[in-house]
Amino acid sequence: MPEPIIKLENVWRTYQLGKIEVHALRGLSLEIFPGAFVAIMGSSGSGKSTLLNMIGCLDFPDKGKVYLKGKDISEMSESHLSQFRGEILGFVFQEFNLLPNLNAVQNVMLPMIFQGVPLAERKEKAERILERVGLKERTFHQPSELSGGERQRVALARAFANDPEVIIADEPTGNLDSVTGKMIMETLTDFHKKQGKTMVVVTHDPKIANYAEQIVNIEDGQIVKNHSIAKEYLWKN
Amino acid sequence: MEKLKEYFNIAIRNIRTRTLRNFLTILGIVIGVFLIISLLSLSEGLKSTINQQLQSMGGEMVMVMPGGDEDIFSSMMFGGVKLQPEDMEAIKKADGVDEVLGLSYTGSVVRYKDEAKQAAIAGYDPWKEGLEILSFFQGWSIAEGRWPSKGNQILIGSHVTNEIFSKKVEIGSEMVIKGRRFEIAGALNSLGSKQDDSMIYMDMKVYQELTGEKRGTAAYAMVTLEEGVDENVVAEKIEESLKETRKRRIGTDEADFSVLTSEKMGNMVDTILGIIQFVIIAFASVAIVVGGIGIMNSMFTSVKERTKEIGIMKAIGATNSAVLSIFLFEAGIIGFVGGIGGTLLGAGLAKTIELYGQAHPLFYFSASITPGLIIFGLVFSFVVGCLAGFFPARQAAKLKPVEALRRYE
Repeated sequence: MPEPIIKLENVWRTYQLGKIEVHALRGLSLEIFPGAFVAIMGSSGSGKSTLLNMIGCLDFPDKGKVYLKGKDISEMSESHLSQFRGEILGFVFQEFNLLPNLNAVQNVMLPMIFQGVPLAERKEKAERILERVGLKERTFHQPSELSGGERQRVALARAFANDPEVIIADEPTGNLDSVTGKMIMETLTDFHKKQGKTMVVVTHDPKIANYAEQIVNIEDGQIVKNHSIAKEYLWKN
Repeated sequence: MEKLKEYFNIAIRNIRTRTLRNFLTILGIVIGVFLIISLLSLSEGLKSTINQQLQSMGGEMVMVMPGGDEDIFSSMMFGGVKLQPEDMEAIKKADGVDEVLGLSYTGSVVRYKDEAKQAAIAGYDPWKEGLEILSFFQGWSIAEGRWPSKGNQILIGSHVTNEIFSKKVEIGSEMVIKGRRFEIAGALNSLGSKQDDSMIYMDMKVYQELTGEKRGTAAYAMVTLEEGVDENVVAEKIEESLKETRKRRIGTDEADFSVLTSEKMGNMVDTILGIIQFVIIAFASVAIVVGGIGIMNSMFTSVKERTKEIGIMKAIGATNSAVLSIFLFEAGIIGFVGGIGGTLLGAGLAKTIELYGQAHPLFYFSASITPGLIIFGLVFSFVVGCLAGFFPARQAAKLKPVEALRRYE
């Protein structure tokens, strides 16, 4: 058994909403292994966004431990964690979250700037990735000049920029029509298949979950089901 | 370094997208720096003008001026009380005094060829010996022509020769002052002070006839000393002698005159201008602080607006110091650009005042815009920007990525 790339151990997360305490995660444990394609499913309010924040090391648990590549993130300095996150994880968000002041290629280069990649190298690489996601002719466009699908592809390119080991996608097709959504999911699947990247996708859409090899169902902050899908079930859509 | 350069570029792109707000913020800094630069360059100019004046008086001389210490500047600038012939006698009698040179000046319209210009005319008493004293102690020298020997001959300063009239003044030609014709006997080399260089010098008798001033009075007196005496000691003797005379004459020994050694003058100028500059800096600093608050306000708004952007940057690997640097650069650039604008405007205003604002023919404003002052203006505004930007930038840097991302959901 290989070592899990992300490991959550009895994680609790509680939010204070006024006087009410909301337990978003209740003692949740999860292991994500290298090369997996995991879909996390749950209705809204089930705690799946909180779980995603934990997996993405964007938040800290109130109780329990989160390990990224075997390292306890609560023991890392904030700066070190940022650096580490930028190196190992790539994020894709529902609302694309491109920086509006930067054009497509600058957005893709941004994570590499934070990792200290020299200018010539990151420019060449950013243009190459943009070409791969089919946006060669949009390289110097501002996000406002791009369609939703194009923006999400720029966001994908940005997530791939540092060759991360894990791509974390939060409802990546939530703001897109079904055709564009399918294209995005195929690009993600393609990266997973060809480069063996680990994928974690949060969704409430069963069609999207069908791309995955492993489905984790979450309800009331706890995992209710964690199962692998038989290969023949894949691609049936 | 590579990273900082990139953060700088990102900061510049961010500033460009909020043009109007940043323009207004920059304007706040421009006004503050503009005030500091224009006022400081003018007061520095004033200081150097006066110091030049003092320098050109030479070391071994004592000046006697009517009016007490406290209103010495008003009597120097605008005339007023005069020294009487009895006073001049009293000065001459004091121990250690070699020669006494009385001088009066006033503004007057001077015609040369077809041009009439405002200039300053000055009378010296005694005329011939005075010129000797001036050439010996003050380094007066003839650039062109010769020393005047007759009453209707005049001597002109180098500024009069070259600047005041549209054409260069020719030696030997005529100049008309208050309806009387004078022959220009000689032109002086520059005396090192624009004020002295702008004068037309003549015999005191002729000067008094022209202006109708009472015989034997002087705006101030220059006193040369006998060899080997201490200027401070002689200054005291002159003071005693003057007091005695006044007591006899008007029955009071109140000192309504000042006996100044060049050292004492220098100190006085430094003190007074030091106070003026302090006040200027204090007021202009208020303007700068207001500008800084403007930057801070704008940056806090910016951090609020861009909370999500900050969250994204942190999610994709930006460290706290990266976010801090970007926001500090933004504030610093706003300050710096304001500094450039303020420095240019301030220097422009000071130069304009120097060129067109000569309110008094005897008193020249000069603007002293030194590289040091410009560098000070720019560095200062950059520092103000960074200081004002520090708290907003720190707030931005401290945002938790998850909170920043959630805020807009």
